[in-house]
Amino acid sequence: MSTPIDQNLAGGPLRQPEAEIYDRGYRHYDGPREGRRHAIQALIIYSIKRGLGIKKRWTAKIIPILIYAFAFFPVLIIIGIRAFVGEAAGGLNYLTLYRAISVIMIVFAAATAPEMLCDDRRQQVLPLYFSRAISRADYLLAKIGGLGILMGTVALLPAFILFLGSTFLAKSPVTYFFDHIADLVRIVAAGTLLAFLFASIGLLIAGFTERKSIAAAVYIGAVLLVAGFAGALFNAINAGWHRYFVLADLNSVSDGITSWIFGIPLDQDGIAGKANLNGAWYLLTVAIVVVACAAVMYRQYLREE
Amino acid sequence: MTATSLSKWMVETTNLRKSYGKVVALEGLSVQIPRAAVGLLGANGAGKSTLIKLLLGLQAPVSGDATVLGFNVRTDPLQMREHVGYMPESDSLPLDVTAADFVGHMAEISGLPARAARLRAAETLYQCGVDEERYRLMREFSTGMKQRVKLAQAIVHDPDLVFLDEPTNGMDPAGRDDMLRLISRIHNDLGITVILSSHLLEDVELVCDYVVMLENGRLAMTGPLTSLVQGEGDVVVQIDGDVDRFVQALQVRGLDARRRERDVLLAYHDESVFDVVRDLSIDLDILLRGLRRDTRTLEDVYLQRMSEQTVDEAANVNAD
Repeated sequence: MSTPIDQNLAGGPLRQPEAEIYDRGYRHYDGPREGRRHAIQALIIYSIKRGLGIKKRWTAKIIPILIYAFAFFPVLIIIGIRAFVGEAAGGLNYLTLYRAISVIMIVFAAATAPEMLCDDRRQQVLPLYFSRAISRADYLLAKIGGLGILMGTVALLPAFILFLGSTFLAKSPVTYFFDHIADLVRIVAAGTLLAFLFASIGLLIAGFTERKSIAAAVYIGAVLLVAGFAGALFNAINAGWHRYFVLADLNSVSDGITSWIFGIPLDQDGIAGKANLNGAWYLLTVAIVVVACAAVMYRQYLREE
Repeated sequence: MTATSLSKWMVETTNLRKSYGKVVALEGLSVQIPRAAVGLLGANGAGKSTLIKLLLGLQAPVSGDATVLGFNVRTDPLQMREHVGYMPESDSLPLDVTAADFVGHMAEISGLPARAARLRAAETLYQCGVDEERYRLMREFSTGMKQRVKLAQAIVHDPDLVFLDEPTNGMDPAGRDDMLRLISRIHNDLGITVILSSHLLEDVELVCDYVVMLENGRLAMTGPLTSLVQGEGDVVVQIDGDVDRFVQALQVRGLDARRRERDVLLAYHDESVFDVVRDLSIDLDILLRGLRRDTRTLEDVYLQRMSEQTVDEAANVNAD
């Protein structure tokens, strides 16, 4: 506790203290303790800062800055084209935007998820967390929340900008805004689902290795490999159920979710369009992937000391 | 009233067992540890770190039970951990973070509001001997500095009890002395109870007043340090005069006396031996220069225990 200098000891006029004396001796803490919820929030904020390279060397900030730059690039292109060609650019919609963003989100998850988990394991920081009043589930919840929020900024902000751009470019912005206000809910729904889909897979992979570069490479490799296999099997087999192979391709799941939520039909060139699955299948896939990843990670972290 | 204030024992284990595959780390450990500065002693692999991890709930025992500050570690681990701190043996620090940021973060994880956490971090680091360096990335720290930061994060949330696992590991002699002084201060001045795990007997002897000695996952001995190092010591008599004559005279009086260089060693039975020595020195007109109990070091106790174990094992082999 600081002890203000008593200016009035000599009977002089009472003045505002110009300085304070601090007793730097150790004292027992008798202030508030805010419990697990506060701890989880603190860990979410700390994880987000680490993911963005805040309070780290400048080299740690390069990848997040580049990814954000690339994430906003497509929406600026779309709005720019719309500004010039107007209604003729109708094909450049949320589906187009999310198709571009989902690729960036995969790269973002590959780069950021290892940043959130690998160092804690490699530098053996986990015992310090787990010897405090938080559970392993709390720790994982905070990590999923932290990465989910970061991914959400990549998924949501460009879409909001597209919404605002479309509104201001419309002949009657006010009418457009109220006619399309439901798009805001759709943006939040689609962005949140995609954010947690990509985040949970990234964290799952990062939870199994201490090396950030390996986790990032495995993530990108697994996405490409599984998508390649799914596409090959989809084209090779023609038995009706072959359509469900499309659910193994993250880009197709992203397309399917966005198409379903925004009510924009998929083009028939891609395998998601050819599969023609009901949107609920994509929603179910996202739910299963997120829950399964969380469950496997929890099981994995139960073994951590 | 919390379990902390209700419990008689600081730590209590009942038949605690832990194994890693076929390797048994703790075998039916039952021990009651009072509130004191406790030294957890034992050779490498004796089960010290395993015991601490079980008490913190970082690992689950195969069987048995344990309470820390009255909280059951199986059923109330989170409540228990609100009251304890832990300094692990390994480095356990993120290297690309400043000490101030990390210790503040750990305080927040323990529930302190952000501003209070920052202030506590600065205060605690200062108390642990990390002042302006706290704003540097920890990758630039020496082993001694890292140990201090680990200690700071263990006490930043003002715990009632702190587990210190080999806190002087890898430190040079000067740094080791500093760390031991710091730990003594934490216990004596700050009132935080300490359980210090070490394979270095001198560390425990300097800091602790209660000892729990483990051996191959079992309890070898436990008790206050003073009773362990003094309880069974001989009486040392120093005289000016004929030492052999004095020894013979003591033996005639039925005492178990023998010569050790210029001293006379006398088996201690009770306080009456001091009277016998005093009276005999008067009778023989010998100047009595010194009369005291022969204090054993913890190392003597440990070595004696080891030799007893070797004898026991040999007897068991012969019996088989």
